[in-house]
Amino acid sequence: MAGDWAVTAEGLVKRFGERRVVDGVDLSVPAGAIYGVLGPNGAGKTTTLRMLLGIIEPDEGHRTLLGHAQPQDASDEVGYLPEERGLYPAMKAREAIAFMGALRGLDWRTGRTRAGEMLEAAGLGHAADEKIRKLSKGMAQLVQLLGSVVHQPKLIVLDEPFSGLDPVNQERLERLIVAERDRGATILFSTHIMAHAQRLCDRLAVIAGGKRRFEGTVEEARALLPQQVHYVPHHPGPDIAHALPADARADGDGWRFTLPADGIEQTLKHLIDAGYGISGLSIERPGLHEAFVRIVGADAAEAAR
Amino acid sequence: MTRSGSQTRFRRQLRQTLTIGRRDFVATVFTPIFLLFLFAPLIMSSFGAIGGLGAANAADGSSDKQRMVLVMPVAEARLVRAADDQLRDTFSRDAAPPAIVVVTDPVAPRGQLARRDLDVSAVMQGPLDRPAIFFAPGGRRDARYLAALADVALRRHATGEARVSTPVLEQVRVAIPSLGGRKTSAFFAVFGIFFLTLFLSGQVVGTMAEERNNKVIEVLAAAVPLESVFLGKLLGMFGVAVLFVGFWGTVISQIGQFLPADLGAQAAQLVPAVGLGWFVLLFAAYFTTAYLLLGAVFLGVGAQASTMREIQMLSLPITVLQVGMFGLASAAASHPGTWIATAAELFPLSSPFAMAGHAANRPELWPHVAALAWQLLWVTIFITVGARLFRRGVLQSASSKPVWRQLFGR
Repeated sequence: MAGDWAVTAEGLVKRFGERRVVDGVDLSVPAGAIYGVLGPNGAGKTTTLRMLLGIIEPDEGHRTLLGHAQPQDASDEVGYLPEERGLYPAMKAREAIAFMGALRGLDWRTGRTRAGEMLEAAGLGHAADEKIRKLSKGMAQLVQLLGSVVHQPKLIVLDEPFSGLDPVNQERLERLIVAERDRGATILFSTHIMAHAQRLCDRLAVIAGGKRRFEGTVEEARALLPQQVHYVPHHPGPDIAHALPADARADGDGWRFTLPADGIEQTLKHLIDAGYGISGLSIERPGLHEAFVRIVGADAAEAAR
Repeated sequence: MTRSGSQTRFRRQLRQTLTIGRRDFVATVFTPIFLLFLFAPLIMSSFGAIGGLGAANAADGSSDKQRMVLVMPVAEARLVRAADDQLRDTFSRDAAPPAIVVVTDPVAPRGQLARRDLDVSAVMQGPLDRPAIFFAPGGRRDARYLAALADVALRRHATGEARVSTPVLEQVRVAIPSLGGRKTSAFFAVFGIFFLTLFLSGQVVGTMAEERNNKVIEVLAAAVPLESVFLGKLLGMFGVAVLFVGFWGTVISQIGQFLPADLGAQAAQLVPAVGLGWFVLLFAAYFTTAYLLLGAVFLGVGAQASTMREIQMLSLPITVLQVGMFGLASAAASHPGTWIATAAELFPLSSPFAMAGHAANRPELWPHVAALAWQLLWVTIFITVGARLFRRGVLQSASSKPVWRQLFGR
């Protein structure tokens, strides 16, 4: 692997007709990290991932996958869960996993053995010899996920892995992602669900309108917005708004406003002197969702919901 | 329910039915491929016509060059020709003996039976009262006809006492196969490969549809080169075809033991120029390349289809293509060495058929090495092009249209 990057992309461009679906995206995914690609629907996340994997070729730009300029050269060391899930309905779960491993260079015997163990660990041991068509959608999705990691790849690319999963399986998937990272794999996944990204990502990129709008850690994304103060007066009064910063807005029994640049002390002194007192006070960092809204714009963020 | 109520319900159901019917009609008719369906009767007629033409070509081509040879001085030959003119009229056109060729040089008569330029069935040499008549297998009737000619010629021109011709007939084993046998072998080789590929290679057209419908293609495309996906599917289906041929080949070979004995004798006439052993090997090789070539084209085209309807409609153009290649190759088989034969041998999709015919007509082996390499090169090209079109047209995005829709704007 070149340097410490599992994936690099420089100026990736993809046009569908006249439309630039991906417009000069740069990415650098550190080896051993969980890296999220966030963006609203139609932002170009899937197209970017497909270009990185070599499923489609970029019109402009370069990319490397585990140090290889040609993604197919790294094929045996990559696992991929596409957004549109797909398995052969007539295959048994164990065979489906072994087949996906075989595509990536794992011998069938080892694939079958590991498939059995993985299905057992995932609570699907009873379905190992069931045909895919007989499994529920969530179970089939889990089988495909196991198939994408059965060969113990160095890089795992998951496109919207949480969509279609119930909360229990979402949590199971989160644990699996962390376990794979702990094994030493790099995980690159796309999502528009901020909660997963906030819990999992070491680094992330936000893509909107085909362009990369942000790249950094979750903390760095959250730091794009000022901290918020949540204040609850002890003696509320009708004129209290005059004693608060201009952006203060009522929030239940209290008020919420941006932490002033010179600190909270002067504002608190003014409130106490005016007799409103302090019943509750907290200084909160905005979440990834708020940062995402700020980065992509409110309309795009709404589309991502 | 009142009468007006039931009428309203009937009208509503009729309207709904017609709505469904209209959609299906429009979806089927307003496609470019429908035109091919429209002309299906014409295509089927041409199928029969081309097949019949091929057989007729093979038969005519062989009878055109069938001859009987007289190795004798001009004067005697003239007598025999006169007798031939007299007796030939007693035969119908189809049953008439081959035409006569005269060789005045004193050559070895047996050698005439092995001529490459003519298909000689019988040779007569010597004085008319004691002619020696040599004939190839299957040429006994012509040998007797020559004997009759000698006798008639002798009687008509006898002076003094009546003379009787006492011929000596001898069957000769001919080292090289007859022209007719070669051409018939060529036609059967072409037809055999056509028959097998017609049945088997068309199955390839729908194989990518499975991966497209169940979305597995995305997993495959990310893991292995699309060219490998295409070739793998082609080889998988070829394995099925080999199994099919193996099964029915075994069955037919067992049934063959119960067929009439003269059928075996007739089959013995199908002697290819390269020899039976090589011919069988080459037939298998050309069946393989024919399957792979046509299969690669069908796979590439079928991969563009997104619905069962499109796949079903593609079956007709596929048949048309196969019939076309069969027609070209059967014409080549009946006219070896002509420009049409060369064209059929070079054109990639007809090349395996035509070269199988070539193996029956010509003894040289080296052209087959070149032809097989040429055909495999085109298999590679077709697979590469098919995979690239698939990548550009189908994998690009979910909304991408197949190539023909891009071409026809639908």
